[in-house]
Amino acid sequence: MYKIIAVAALVMSAALASPNAAIAGTTPAPAGAHEYIGYPNDGQVVPANKPFKVWFGLRYMGVAPKGVKYPNTGHHHLLIDTDLPPMDQEIPSDRNHLHFGAGETETMIQLPPGKHTLQLLMGDDMHVPHNPPVYSKKITVIAR
Amino acid sequence: MRRTVTPVVLDVRHGSHARREVLRRTLRATLLLMFGNMVPSVFAAAEQTPSPPGAEEYIIWPSDGTVIHGGKLWVRMGLRNMGVCPKGVVFPNTGHHHLLIDTDLPPLDQEIPSDRNHLHFGAGETDARIELPPGKHTLQLILGDHNHVPHVPPVYSKKITITVLKD
Repeated sequence: MYKIIAVAALVMSAALASPNAAIAGTTPAPAGAHEYIGYPNDGQVVPANKPFKVWFGLRYMGVAPKGVKYPNTGHHHLLIDTDLPPMDQEIPSDRNHLHFGAGETETMIQLPPGKHTLQLLMGDDMHVPHNPPVYSKKITVIAR
Repeated sequence: MRRTVTPVVLDVRHGSHARREVLRRTLRATLLLMFGNMVPSVFAAAEQTPSPPGAEEYIIWPSDGTVIHGGKLWVRMGLRNMGVCPKGVVFPNTGHHHLLIDTDLPPLDQEIPSDRNHLHFGAGETDARIELPPGKHTLQLILGDHNHVPHVPPVYSKKITITVLKD
């Protein structure tokens, strides 16, 4: 009897203490998966109010459109002037969180004058980040 | 001798491919006999996937004429006005990358071959790790649909030449 309680307690505490319980989605990311912004570079000056290209880079992982369940894939999300969203929920879809659910690997955006941050985050078929989450370094561009 | 290093699973086709190809040819020949020469073009078009207007595939890196020291490189595969999707999945306006090394474009109405000169990225990869021996090499990309067949119209990049130096 004590044994059962002990095991139950252990399971409970493991569930509560598990660092992944609340900070990541349920789709596993492959080891070594690496997302990066191929262009622009960190600190780069881009033309203000004019479209410029953003390249989405991904290594040791593949791209699949939204709604497609395929191992070791996801789709890109571009975060503009915002921090990473909660990692266990659907990535918001608004002007600061652009979804590329058709499997796009680049886009054109335009920004008003000033400093802006860009960051990429992979989402699974349901737009939820992977476990562990796959995201790029956050870079700063200056629109001028 | 060239060795390709692709960290992610390369798409290896099984023996049934050859058999299917024979079947397909036989079927096509039979149709040709039955309906004369107007049918084959219709038949071929019917089994191919359309590409959206403005779709463009290109090699982001390396650029034409790049000199690589040592022979190991990442090829960054670029695609405009279209998306990437793994093999076997039907999703409008998508396809997956194929990297052609030291070879010309394959027939545009058939499955892209899978060998050392035709690397398939059927898991939706957009960066390809390859290793090439010293010398001049050509690289070209062609997009394939869920069945590894080029789209209509076909979507492929310019063919570039790079030089590998022994280091």
